[in-house]
Amino acid sequence: MNLRRGRFLTLLAGTALTGCSRIATSLNDNPRFHAVLGAPERLDLALLGADHPLAREYRDKDISPDFRHNGFDPPSDPAYLQWSRNNWHGYRLFVSGLVDKPTSFSVDDLRTKFPSIAQITRHDCVEGWSVIGKWRGVRVRDVLAAAQPRAGAKYVVFYCLDDDGSGTKYYESLDMRQAAHPQALLAYDLNDQPVPLKNGAPIRLKVPTQLGYKSAKHVNRIELVAALGGDNGSGGYWEDRGYEWFAGI
Amino acid sequence: MIQRVYRHPLVVRITHWVVALALLVLTMSGLQIFNAHPELYASDASTFAHPVLSIYSDTDAAGRTVGKLQIGSMVFTTTGLLGWTGDGMGGEEQRAFPPWATIPAYRDLADGRRWHIFFAWVLGLCALLYAAWAFKLIPSKTEIREVPEALKEHAVPWKIKATAHYNPLQKIAYFSVVFGLVPLAIISGLALSPSFDGWAPWVPWLLGGRQFARIWHFVAMFGIIGFFIGHFMMVVLTGFWNNLRAMITGWFAVEEAS
Repeated sequence: MNLRRGRFLTLLAGTALTGCSRIATSLNDNPRFHAVLGAPERLDLALLGADHPLAREYRDKDISPDFRHNGFDPPSDPAYLQWSRNNWHGYRLFVSGLVDKPTSFSVDDLRTKFPSIAQITRHDCVEGWSVIGKWRGVRVRDVLAAAQPRAGAKYVVFYCLDDDGSGTKYYESLDMRQAAHPQALLAYDLNDQPVPLKNGAPIRLKVPTQLGYKSAKHVNRIELVAALGGDNGSGGYWEDRGYEWFAGI
Repeated sequence: MIQRVYRHPLVVRITHWVVALALLVLTMSGLQIFNAHPELYASDASTFAHPVLSIYSDTDAAGRTVGKLQIGSMVFTTTGLLGWTGDGMGGEEQRAFPPWATIPAYRDLADGRRWHIFFAWVLGLCALLYAAWAFKLIPSKTEIREVPEALKEHAVPWKIKATAHYNPLQKIAYFSVVFGLVPLAIISGLALSPSFDGWAPWVPWLLGGRQFARIWHFVAMFGIIGFFIGHFMMVVLTGFWNNLRAMITGWFAVEEAS
């Protein structure tokens, strides 16, 4: 093959890639095509989200030296800052919605009134990196049981205190089955210390079988609802911005 | 004397083109996903201070922004191609792979993932369909014995002649893609899913950990790109239109010694 042909083929390859990228980008901007691309999520949920496989639990020596922080800055409103300086006195975690006994808990209530569960699990960020940390907290299902969910409750929405800087607050959701997962925690300790501000103090949802964005930080209110959508958004801050609700892949 | 032979059955022709499209989209959307954290680690969790590969931007002595590629202890300047490139919207930005190589062109992790997961399903289902036929690609003992002779015949690329049946080198090349690189890409891709890891924690473990699985996923991609370059060159050298027609209609023209 002579040089001219080699250069021609390189040019051809470059042009072909640019063309593919352009065509795909314009398809991507077409709402109907975009919806088709999202179709496998239900299949993924049915296959991978079925049953309760446990995320692998690690040993102490596997814990990452720093549990990397991603997402929004910790809340900066005066009430939050005051709670954080006062050992979280004044903070409460509310449980409401489709329950028979709406209730709320202080951090001390969560530490003392429920079985304490520890897990050393891997946290996989949607960006691609992973860190391993030791979380201690209470099972989501134990907290929900205390509020006595009604039969019509299908989803659990977690409302958070942190916002994206423009006032839109973080939130996430699980279905009742995911919320009943034995490793789904409302965590108060990370690596044997109270959860640091950057990692979601005072209470962080931890769902080790899904990507990191599912594990909402600074949880303040839990609401049980019959369906997502409408006022409940697509079920999460990032879900409202195109990410999958089932964050298992 | 020219003779026409029916070389590729319908299932092979269809899966060939669908898989080709899927691999192209998977590569380009995969580069989009990689751009969200352009770093590879040879471990289970990330060791942020010690990536084995990293693509980033830096400032040179003259104060200009430059793109850098670090592999092990080697650092290359790759401005315009890797690390500091166009942003797909007329500007420039810190970005591992350039917009012409990604889907979508602009930075969009959420949509890159949509494309990738959709076409991962396309590839997986097609691979199952193809695998039933592809066992014919397993080279026989006789064919393995013929390898040295075939290598000799391939020493002068423009003298290679296409024949009615795959020669042993062709079979080995196709076999290693169908039963080696593509399964490696699929398995290492599954190992990146935290839910899949709940079902089969031994899969990321076998690959050296979740972050190491990203390396395997990357290696499989480069292997497939390398195969494609070789494959495309051979198609051109042994009669582009005849090969293309054969993969569309099934019929292949060969010269018969009479």
